Amino acid sequence: MDLTDKLEILADAAKYDASCASSGAPKRSSEGKDGIGATSGMGICHSYTPDGRCVSLLKILLTNFCIYDCQYCVNRRTSNVPRARFSVDEVVKLTVDFYLRNYIDGLFLSSGIIRSADYTMEQLVHIARQLREVHNFRGYIHLKTIPDADPALIAAAGKYADRLSVNIELPTQASVEKLAPEKSVHTIKLAMGSIRRRLDEKAEEPRSPKFAPAGQSTQMIVGADASDDQTILSTAETLYTSYKLKRVYYSAFSPIPQSPGSVPLAPPPMLREHRLYQADFLLRSYGFVASELLPASGGNLALDIDPKLAWALANREHFPLDLNLADASMIARVPGIGLRNAKRIVELRRLRRIRYADLVRLRCSMKKIAPFIVTADYSPVRGAASSEVLRRSLAEAPQQMNLWPELRAA
Amino acid sequence: MAGTAGSINAAVAASAGQPLLVAGFAEWREAARELLAFDIAPHAVKWIGQRDEADLFAGAPADPHEAAHAIDLRQARPVMHLPRKLMDMLQSAACCRVPDRWAFLYRVVWRWQHGDQVVLSPADEDGARLHAMVKAVHREEHDMHAYIRFRERPEAAGAPRFVAWFEPAHDVLPQVAQHFVSRMGRISWMIATPDASVLWDGETLHNTGPLVSSAADLDDAGEALWLTYYRSIFNPARLNAGLMRSHIPSRFWKHLPEGSVVPQMVSQAAAGARRTGQAEAVGQRRGTTIPIAADKAQPQRQAPSTLDECRRCELWQHATQAVGGAGPAHARIMLVGEQPGDQEDLAGEPFVGPAGQLLDQVLRDAGLDRRTIYLTNAVKHFKWEPRGKRRLHKTPAQREIEACSYWLDQELAQVKPDVIVALGSTALKSVLGTGNVTLKDTIGKPIRHDGRWVITVYHPSFVLRVPDEASKQQAMAVMVDGLRQAQQLLQMKSEN
Ligand code: SF4
Repeated sequence: MDLTDKLEILADAAKYDASCASSGAPKRSSEGKDGIGATSGMGICHSYTPDGRCVSLLKILLTNFCIYDCQYCVNRRTSNVPRARFSVDEVVKLTVDFYLRNYIDGLFLSSGIIRSADYTMEQLVHIARQLREVHNFRGYIHLKTIPDADPALIAAAGKYADRLSVNIELPTQASVEKLAPEKSVHTIKLAMGSIRRRLDEKAEEPRSPKFAPAGQSTQMIVGADASDDQTILSTAETLYTSYKLKRVYYSAFSPIPQSPGSVPLAPPPMLREHRLYQADFLLRSYGFVASELLPASGGNLALDIDPKLAWALANREHFPLDLNLADASMIARVPGIGLRNAKRIVELRRLRRIRYADLVRLRCSMKKIAPFIVTADYSPVRGAASSEVLRRSLAEAPQQMNLWPELRAA
Repeated sequence: MAGTAGSINAAVAASAGQPLLVAGFAEWREAARELLAFDIAPHAVKWIGQRDEADLFAGAPADPHEAAHAIDLRQARPVMHLPRKLMDMLQSAACCRVPDRWAFLYRVVWRWQHGDQVVLSPADEDGARLHAMVKAVHREEHDMHAYIRFRERPEAAGAPRFVAWFEPAHDVLPQVAQHFVSRMGRISWMIATPDASVLWDGETLHNTGPLVSSAADLDDAGEALWLTYYRSIFNPARLNAGLMRSHIPSRFWKHLPEGSVVPQMVSQAAAGARRTGQAEAVGQRRGTTIPIAADKAQPQRQAPSTLDECRRCELWQHATQAVGGAGPAHARIMLVGEQPGDQEDLAGEPFVGPAGQLLDQVLRDAGLDRRTIYLTNAVKHFKWEPRGKRRLHKTPAQREIEACSYWLDQELAQVKPDVIVALGSTALKSVLGTGNVTLKDTIGKPIRHDGRWVITVYHPSFVLRVPDEASKQQAMAVMVDGLRQAQQLLQMKSEN
């Protein structure tokens, strides 16, 4: 099998993993040095595919042979897919060649489980070591960690990789037991915990050996089981705070060929994934907690409005908010005002009072924010619109609802 | 003729009604400095940015001597020091190809110099334009970092090994070149654009002058592999071509190798391939299943302990693992804490975090060897709530204490200690099997319970939270006393 064939199969097999970012690594440069590669800390998207997702890394599996039988996965042992395996040198060469042509910022390497967790992990580490030590590659490397692997191998992975990830895949223990019989949430949490302990150690002892400077992340598949958004978000929150994850990626379940009966035939609406990302951003950057976005009793995020607007409509007592008096963190909670504009408003406020026209120039969505704010020259008419009415006027036109009409009809 | 910053005094020239020709940011900055020093208002200055524009002004009245009378060269005022942020923005905005860039930038610094700091806010009219110009330039830098495609030249052709062609909308080539210098190490490359080109020979950057365009004509075998990757990493089940186009402006597509395969990918996906995520080409190949029995595929794992599988209450859900007790199987003193904390939850051992360190200190002060003591907690899973990015310890509820006493009872039955030291009220409630006890009533007073002594002291975490040093020492003393008492009670028992 030639390299093109392998690439075709092993990139196809890797596309279900939503992790893509190449940000968070410390700054590195190859100026005047042997070898290649740099990181700016920001990450660059080098292209976009027709699914609207960015290409920033060479995302491939080392092999799609797998002895596990995870029902949502196209590579499961009972799946009848063409199988392939890269050699170590092939992965290294592809990475370097693509990098030189400026197609990618680095490598995201994952693998089916072959032989054993340790054996598989060893191979992944071997490739990263080869890139770093033989080719002096300073670009980004993200390694998928095999949770059952020996902690010493995970430590070695952290020495070469910028980021490590351990995929939780499903939000509840029950779903994992049902759909991924060889996996164990317990083991996955232990692996995440051991990575966090090493990251903490490194933070406390800056001169200790390098360890995954861009931190760790995970992925959850949405819509392969019956879990609702509340379950998904509270699991994400638990993972963020317990293991100091940089990111939780959400991946709407894609139907797979010869799907087993245990997973749905149709994908969830893509908009659901989008709303989860928006809610996740509120958790990470706005100081929201999951229980503010969805009640502990369960439920899904609204599809017609974004989660911040939904929160504001459900908490009208905080509004209208006087932008000349309110806390920065509260200003950022106004629908239509992002973190950056919240900061700008507070900066401007030190010089003079905020007026309605300022917000127009800041390109805030005026329709969205008007009912929620008070400025020096503007305040909304009290009780002018009920939350119901507001919601109807602010709801987004349904998007993508008919993305899979043929499947929905079936 | 036009005045040139540096060659003629800019303030003199401007006051004589001469346009100022600047070719770049450094020149503009020099000129602006002088103009500000003589307080020459923006409307009084005519800036031009290109030589051919300058020709339009050829023959304009120019008499530097006369102009020198118009301003008094001894009257220069100090110019305010510009903050770094403003300087950076000006420098970026100067790369934005708009005809009036120098005039606009001068108006901005003029306003700043006159105390009008609002000019930096995007809520200000000039501020908004300045931010927009900076953004456009950064965006162009980003796009050039992202969408330049190097093609590899045959070895025999010599340096540069890689060449790229790009049509930037703003003057960002210098900073972009720097980006590729850091990326490519000692490998040589060239980036050609319609009006300037740079060459990196592995050690130095050279401006190779305008109109070098060869990249577009190169054949590169590496491109075929890239297209294979590009096609394969696309998930047809998620087709969303509009989103893709909104990310990459159309002017870039024609220079991207993948641009040529997009239409076909979109139409294939739309025509039904999106039923599954798998690419059609892969689906058509012959597949194989992996012949391995389910039980052989099971990873070798330690069988989970029954404690780890405990579901007596909900606490297991948000914890990493259950933390059981540790210590000699028949220790005579058992220390019972409340519950594992953040560190214990990760490590799987009791008392390893800050509270554990304080406990070590107290044990030393009391003359006790930690290795002779059995350490455990009333509740085995960490109960917490998120606070910012941290896990904040939450006191277990009575029902959780009761649920978990199942495990403490087992430990008691196995270890059979003579003395139990309860650290804090959760431990006390669990040991006594009742919610109706308070720390206050029991501290420092040994109780007989179920045929053993129970001594209550503070929990080390409580001591850690005591705000002032004096009360902290006092609280530690209470703990040390309690542990000494525990030893005495043991001795009494063995003397009996
Ligand atoms: S806290 Fe105790 S009772 Fe509750 S699940 Fe954990 S071990 Fe079981």
